[in-house]
Amino acid sequence: MYNIDMSRVIVVKWADRNHRRDFTTEEYKTLIDYGLRKLAGSDSVSGAVSKCLPVGVIGFKTNCLARKFNSTPVALCDALAETLGKCGFEENDIIIWDRSNDELEKAGFKLNASSFGRRCFGTNSNGVGYSRDFYSSGKVNSLVSRILTDLVNHNINLPILKDHSIAGLSGGLKNMYGAINNPNKYHIPNCDPYAAHISNLKPIKSKNRLTIIDAVRIQYHFGPGFDNRYLDYYNGLILSDDPVAADRVALEILEYFRRLHNLPSLEQDNRPVKYLDSASAIGLGESRLENIIIDTAVIDSDGRASTGELL
Amino acid sequence: MMKRRYFLKCLGCGAVLTATSQTGLIPGIIGGIQNAWALDFTHELSDMEARYYKKLENGGVECILCPRHCRVTDLERGYCGVRENRKDVYHTLVYGRPCAVNIDPIEKKPLFHFYPGTTAFSLATAGCNCNCKFCQNYDISQSRPEQTDNMNLPPEEIVSSCLSRKVPIIAYTYSEPVIFYEYMYDTAKLGREKGIKSVMITGGYIEKDPLADLLNHLDAVKVDLKAIRDGYYKNIVDSELRPILNAILQIKKAGVWLELVYLVVPTLNDSESEFKDLASWIKTNLGLDTPLHFSRFYPQYLLKDLPPTPEKTLQMAHDICRAEGLEYVYLGNLPRHPAESTYCPKCGKVLIERAGYRILQNNLKGNYCSYCGHEIPGRY
Repeated sequence: MYNIDMSRVIVVKWADRNHRRDFTTEEYKTLIDYGLRKLAGSDSVSGAVSKCLPVGVIGFKTNCLARKFNSTPVALCDALAETLGKCGFEENDIIIWDRSNDELEKAGFKLNASSFGRRCFGTNSNGVGYSRDFYSSGKVNSLVSRILTDLVNHNINLPILKDHSIAGLSGGLKNMYGAINNPNKYHIPNCDPYAAHISNLKPIKSKNRLTIIDAVRIQYHFGPGFDNRYLDYYNGLILSDDPVAADRVALEILEYFRRLHNLPSLEQDNRPVKYLDSASAIGLGESRLENIIIDTAVIDSDGRASTGELL
Repeated sequence: MMKRRYFLKCLGCGAVLTATSQTGLIPGIIGGIQNAWALDFTHELSDMEARYYKKLENGGVECILCPRHCRVTDLERGYCGVRENRKDVYHTLVYGRPCAVNIDPIEKKPLFHFYPGTTAFSLATAGCNCNCKFCQNYDISQSRPEQTDNMNLPPEEIVSSCLSRKVPIIAYTYSEPVIFYEYMYDTAKLGREKGIKSVMITGGYIEKDPLADLLNHLDAVKVDLKAIRDGYYKNIVDSELRPILNAILQIKKAGVWLELVYLVVPTLNDSESEFKDLASWIKTNLGLDTPLHFSRFYPQYLLKDLPPTPEKTLQMAHDICRAEGLEYVYLGNLPRHPAESTYCPKCGKVLIERAGYRILQNNLKGNYCSYCGHEIPGRY
């Protein structure tokens, strides 16, 4: 039995360590379905989805800053949408979104704002924009994307795990910078405590149900843009309903690759990821590794799962 | 390129219109143009290489335009939100892309000793390198340029419009002109070549070298000296005091006409000691004849829980500075207050009587008091 005071993070990895390419939709689907079942403690995917996600319009908040090479993969969104579709969600009740149409398109997404099919558009789309009122938390005062405030009932945060030149870690909390109108105001120093306070803004905190971090290909240095000198493959997904715990585990993985490639830790590189502790301090989730239960599973090519090691 | 062409007809001077946005963007200010005016709207941002940045050894760039010195990696932006690193080339996204355009009385800036009674073609882009909690233009200053409705208005068009409409001054204002430095610089330079003057309405948070270059093409600068305490700058402005004082000294030394505004915010920068220190600093460093405007605060943006500045506080500020010897102390946002007008420091007579932005009488003869002949500083 798990201690109910502890946070749970599910890490699902591909067994083949030599797998050094982007995942297909089918491969993502295998990882997602297993991860959701494990996270919800359910035998079936539909049972897991109904536990994790209430009925309604669901947003997929992507991270498309770095175009096709270093953004949330289309295949991941396709796989998740297919899973939700099989669990009773209408296609049109899914909105894949980010800051701008341009960024989504450059990351490979096909825009669709119609009432047919899966929707996909940016906050800068016609008639969308930002909330009329400011939302405040601590040092942050921002307008929030109307996709989050007005159009979706719940949101799944779909960041890609990567290094960030200022924040250190770009994961789930950092991804929500793409939901506000003034992210440029909240970077120095090291996005602390801003990354925490942004995720604590009412529409973000109340609607984020799940974080699924894409940790297939890791930009372990020189992020958040794409730089192929510092890429490696982890081949996994990180899932949790605790956004801080998900990021904390993601940080372990990022630091592992930095060590593997003889790079200094983020702290040694003057980019300590303090915002996770700040997030924990305001009750967003758990930042202490010792208080996080990490279930790591390895999936083989036949779809069979076995217990694995995080690193 | 997506473009929309708007025609505005015969709008009154000083009126402000808000664009009806079809895009879900934060609307800009498009108004006050005196005659029929065609405005080209565009969704395209500029991609001109920015000035005043350096490439870093290990990748990324460092902006050296303002004292913030943002270090920016690929695809990221500086604090201002309008400068972006693209493969280690820093770009300005707002060159020729104003979101606010208006023709204002010069008194609105306020500049009281600079061609009183004239008008200024006033413009701003999105973005700011500070985040004042009392900002009255936060809808554009705290936005990124893709969040505002922007026009395509190159410097040549501004200058030619000013010439054809006989508008003698261009004012870079509303948000923070420092962040659209290249656009301001080129427009001011071209304007001077064609006989149009340029004034910058700024918070003064700019580095020494870019300011020095810019001052070669400016005729006047109004600096919002928001406080005389660094703590206020840190907590309310998200900035720092020292570089701003340095910029003010630099402007004064360059001989460009200078006026100061101090927004009096209840409980935050309105103590007697602060007014005394302010007066003392101006007296020591700029001279007694530097115009100083105290402006009344109204609840705005993130300071909606504070009341408007009481008139007695403004009067106290005025009296302290006058007692210290400052000769031109004005009170703003207090219509019909006697301290809206300019008085001769020698004979005490009214030189320029104002009611809001209107000039009721002007008793100057060139730069001199028409009653006693005392020289009045400024540009007339």
